[in-house]
Amino acid sequence: MTHWPFILAAYGLTGAVTLAVTVWSYLAMRRAEAALEQKDHVK
Amino acid sequence: MKAKNQRLILALLGLAAVVGAGLLAVSGLKQEASFFYAPGDVAQSGLPLDRAVRLGGMVQEKSIRHDADGITIHFIVEDGKATVPVTFKGIVPDLFKEKSGVVAEGRFQPDGSFIATNLLAKHDERYMPPELAGKMHKTGSLKP
Amino acid sequence: MRVARPKSAQGLLEEIPFRKGGLSLKARPAMHAYANPARFLKLARPLTPVCLGLGLILILIGCYAGLVLTPKDYLQGDSVRILYIHVPAAWLGMGGWSALAIASIVQLVWRHPLAGVAARAIAVPGALFTAVCLVTGSIWGRPTWGTWWEWDGRMTSMLVLLFLYFAYIALANAGDDRTSVSRATAIFGIVGAVNIPIINRSVVWWNSLHQGPSITLRGSTIAPELLWPLGFTVFGFSFLFAAIVLMRMRANLAEAKREARLRRLAAA
Repeated sequence: MTHWPFILAAYGLTGAVTLAVTVWSYLAMRRAEAALEQKDHVK
Repeated sequence: MKAKNQRLILALLGLAAVVGAGLLAVSGLKQEASFFYAPGDVAQSGLPLDRAVRLGGMVQEKSIRHDADGITIHFIVEDGKATVPVTFKGIVPDLFKEKSGVVAEGRFQPDGSFIATNLLAKHDERYMPPELAGKMHKTGSLKP
Repeated sequence: MRVARPKSAQGLLEEIPFRKGGLSLKARPAMHAYANPARFLKLARPLTPVCLGLGLILILIGCYAGLVLTPKDYLQGDSVRILYIHVPAAWLGMGGWSALAIASIVQLVWRHPLAGVAARAIAVPGALFTAVCLVTGSIWGRPTWGTWWEWDGRMTSMLVLLFLYFAYIALANAGDDRTSVSRATAIFGIVGAVNIPIINRSVVWWNSLHQGPSITLRGSTIAPELLWPLGFTVFGFSFLFAAIVLMRMRANLAEAKREARLRRLAAA
């Protein structure tokens, strides 16, 4: 049995979900902090 | 006593109680939570003949024999305490080797042998490059 | 009786304007110095990109080394390369809950307003890495053991951890305060920690299909040629995990601050 399809599936899946949660957390932070900044100018 | 210290003591007592209860429950599961029987277990406590079980251990060196039909194999599982002869018909996993771990699913026979319907390979916690393993085999330092 | 102290970050944030000059932070115990979200943010803002960058670089080096540079295993062949992502995922799944439990104790005992924010921020990446550990283990099991899944002690207890994370996330989101967690949720976080030593010891206490621990206090049974990329991926994923937690905490704190301000404006 060749192992490479298994290895690539494991790495691919890990990379995809890790990247997804990182980007999601980053965007959530940016959005929340940007919204806070904006309100400062409105007063 | 300050409220904070009271809460700390309460939390620590709670933690100790929960961990104690967890460990007690787990130690009660000792036999039930085992994934397989080792040959030494059945030698001690008798054969579980009434149901399908798993038998795990090392494949004894030079014990694998192939039948003329090409798909039936016989081998001996050992754990240092006892041995069990196993018969299996089918495709074995890649890692099924002599002096390596195996978990056989099937039934014990009244004569103490085991007829397997499926084989799983179990490897141990050692990882090394092939060259190193070759050297260790030659010097005899790689023991199952 | 206990002194009225803000129970959540939200409460504390609302109080900040009144506290300036009044109650000195220096007068409070050292433990509470970082309870102030402003101080935390001063630390978290520069720390986030450092953790993120360091994490990504170490992960890339470790994965390249593990996929290309290291030799095969004598028994498992190439499939041993899955080790380099499976082990960090397992470490973060279990380490995540341990950190969550510690944060829960800090929340319950010291009423530290950031503890609940931290615990909430840990839950999602912790669940994610637990799932990654289970999936990569399953993919690894097929070519080596000859099965995708078996109900052995290690795998079952790790699956229980994933369900504990799901339950924790559900509990945390059930409360009114979207930035911290309720006391009941914190208690659940502590009780769930019982599973951590069970996962760790499962391969020692019970006969299992999963092999025993390779890296113990007595050393490693992984040959150095195969071991070194694991250091890169374990530290890399840990830094990335820290960055994710920091980003989620910052998002929650910013949201809490904005909500508090909106409420003040509405009241005025």
